[in-house]
Amino acid sequence: MIAAALALPGILPANASAQAAPDEGVVALRYYDYRDWQPGASRMTVRSPTLYALVPLSDTTTLEGSLTHDAMSGASPLYHNTLSGASGLGVTDYRTAGDVKVTRYFDGNALALSAAYSDERDYTSRAASVEWRHFSDDRNRTYAIGFGAAHDRIDSSNGLATNKRRETFDLLLGVTQVLNPGALIESTLTWSQGRGYYSDPYKLLDQRPDRRHIVAWLTRYNQYVGRFDATLRLGYRYLHDSFGDQSHMLEAAWIQPLPRGLTVTPSVRYYTQSAADFYHDPPFPQGLVEGAPYTADTRLSAFGAVTLGLRVAKTFAGGTTADVAMNFYRQQSGWRIGGGGSPGLEEFSARWIEFGIEKRF
Amino acid sequence: MGGQHELQVWAEDRLHADRAAKAAITDVLRIEAKYSRYREDSVTAAINRAAGGAAVAIDDETAALLRFGARCHALSGGRFDLTSGVLRGAWDFARQPSRIPTDDEIATALAKVGWERVEWSDRWVRLSRAGGMELDFGGIGKEYAADRVAAICMDHGIRHGFVNLGGDVRVIGTQVDGTPWRIGLRHPRRMQAVIGEVELCDAAVATSGDYERYFEADGRRYCHLLDALTGRPVDHWQSASVVAPLATLAGSWGTIAMLLGEAAVPFLRAQHADYLLVAADGTVSCGGAAFERARTNSLERATNQ
Repeated sequence: MIAAALALPGILPANASAQAAPDEGVVALRYYDYRDWQPGASRMTVRSPTLYALVPLSDTTTLEGSLTHDAMSGASPLYHNTLSGASGLGVTDYRTAGDVKVTRYFDGNALALSAAYSDERDYTSRAASVEWRHFSDDRNRTYAIGFGAAHDRIDSSNGLATNKRRETFDLLLGVTQVLNPGALIESTLTWSQGRGYYSDPYKLLDQRPDRRHIVAWLTRYNQYVGRFDATLRLGYRYLHDSFGDQSHMLEAAWIQPLPRGLTVTPSVRYYTQSAADFYHDPPFPQGLVEGAPYTADTRLSAFGAVTLGLRVAKTFAGGTTADVAMNFYRQQSGWRIGGGGSPGLEEFSARWIEFGIEKRF
Repeated sequence: MGGQHELQVWAEDRLHADRAAKAAITDVLRIEAKYSRYREDSVTAAINRAAGGAAVAIDDETAALLRFGARCHALSGGRFDLTSGVLRGAWDFARQPSRIPTDDEIATALAKVGWERVEWSDRWVRLSRAGGMELDFGGIGKEYAADRVAAICMDHGIRHGFVNLGGDVRVIGTQVDGTPWRIGLRHPRRMQAVIGEVELCDAAVATSGDYERYFEADGRRYCHLLDALTGRPVDHWQSASVVAPLATLAGSWGTIAMLLGEAAVPFLRAQHADYLLVAADGTVSCGGAAFERARTNSLERATNQ
């Protein structure tokens, strides 16, 4: 109720918007359908429904939770493109994941505690995090600091990795600043420090360092364009990985409201990365030195990729929103910027479709 | 917006005070023109004209008011309803001599009431029923305007002042000497008397009562506050005064309290609101720190009399 009152325009000085706890609940159901392929070969298929709910417990406390069930099938895991099809085995795997989050809003601050659990046949992950946000008096600036820890356990079905562990700690620092009533900028720096088993037991001879340090810097800028009653969203992320690879991601989306409660959002994203220090180009297993880190995993090769997306959402009476989104992804080593891509790799494509329905009450 | 309105602001000089007051009054008139159901060119009139037809595009302000109205409807169990204005067709408080409408007349009016038949989103609204269904922002517009006045004054650098729109009061800061603003609460039966007072800093108080428009028949009072579920006037409380951080909240909580009858006390406690309720037999019940003093004062007066 208080949130609905504070949402009335211009009842707080200087058009500031307050950060009160949401006082309406949300239930959302999403369905995700992913498929990828390479020339002449269809690979992975993933289908997953997700149920999400947000429940206000009081004026100052909210409870959120989600539950996902993935069904993955296809000719995965694949050793390497040069061995395409050699894995032979069709795989169907299931993953069940859930998380809960409690957020408590104090005067000018919010504290969130969350826990997540994910389980599949060969991989179990438990994670917990705490995040504190502070809102400036004029509510135009928000600081965020977060700390997370995850504990993973790997038991590969081929017996190569049994009872392997991995511990990861994350630190997040963020600031969000309202520049003017139509523009907002958000910048987040994340450090991740991990130790344990990082190799892929399904990839032959795969041997990766047991320590990993990642720094990621994400900046987002939203600009309202009054002439079209639309919002332009821009984003850039730089990531440095102690495995030796670095990546840059640039994205842009145009959120265009149309009559009759429709919103259309076209988006484009460009991604480029360098190869990990211990990635070796085909032919496999060229470059292998016994005892030294080695991978032929194409995900650690040098490449560029483009994603094109289109989302259409419609809001119905009574707070129900339905949306459908379609995304196409194409990855090619030649699309990398700032140095050549890894040679000898075939292009890789994926598409994913999402359906969602959300009800507020 | 009927009733008497008052705005007091304190500034370093006359120029600044005038500027703030002018901007605030301009905005009140803007809201009045935009949402008045008496004006042909208002948003309300446009929505009502299109009842049963096409959806009407709305701006963020109207959408936020609809959203707030939806919360009031939900919190009151359907008794507070932005479409209940048509009940005035059955209950004519200006008519002389007064007359209690028949059950059939009430049922006919009630058939046009129903928030669930309002289809809306952030961008459009449509009254799904043709033949007299109407939306009326009167239940929240005045309090919203009071909050806007306070915000506009504060944006103009005003640190001390108050606005009173037809009995709904929002104060800015303290009085210039640092003491709280003291707001008297009208006695629901003795028109020139106060039943209590409340001290406020940066807060609002609103009073909803059965004495604004009413008629008496067969020894009973029929007031203008109509329950959207029954189509009939409320009769549990003579008045409800509520203190809240915003006039929008104080006003809607006060109205909902009147509509809820006995359930008003648990409702107001759940909102952490301070309140002073006068029951049909004149008994006063208070809750919250703001009214502790009011109760003490009225006890003193009663003892002295």
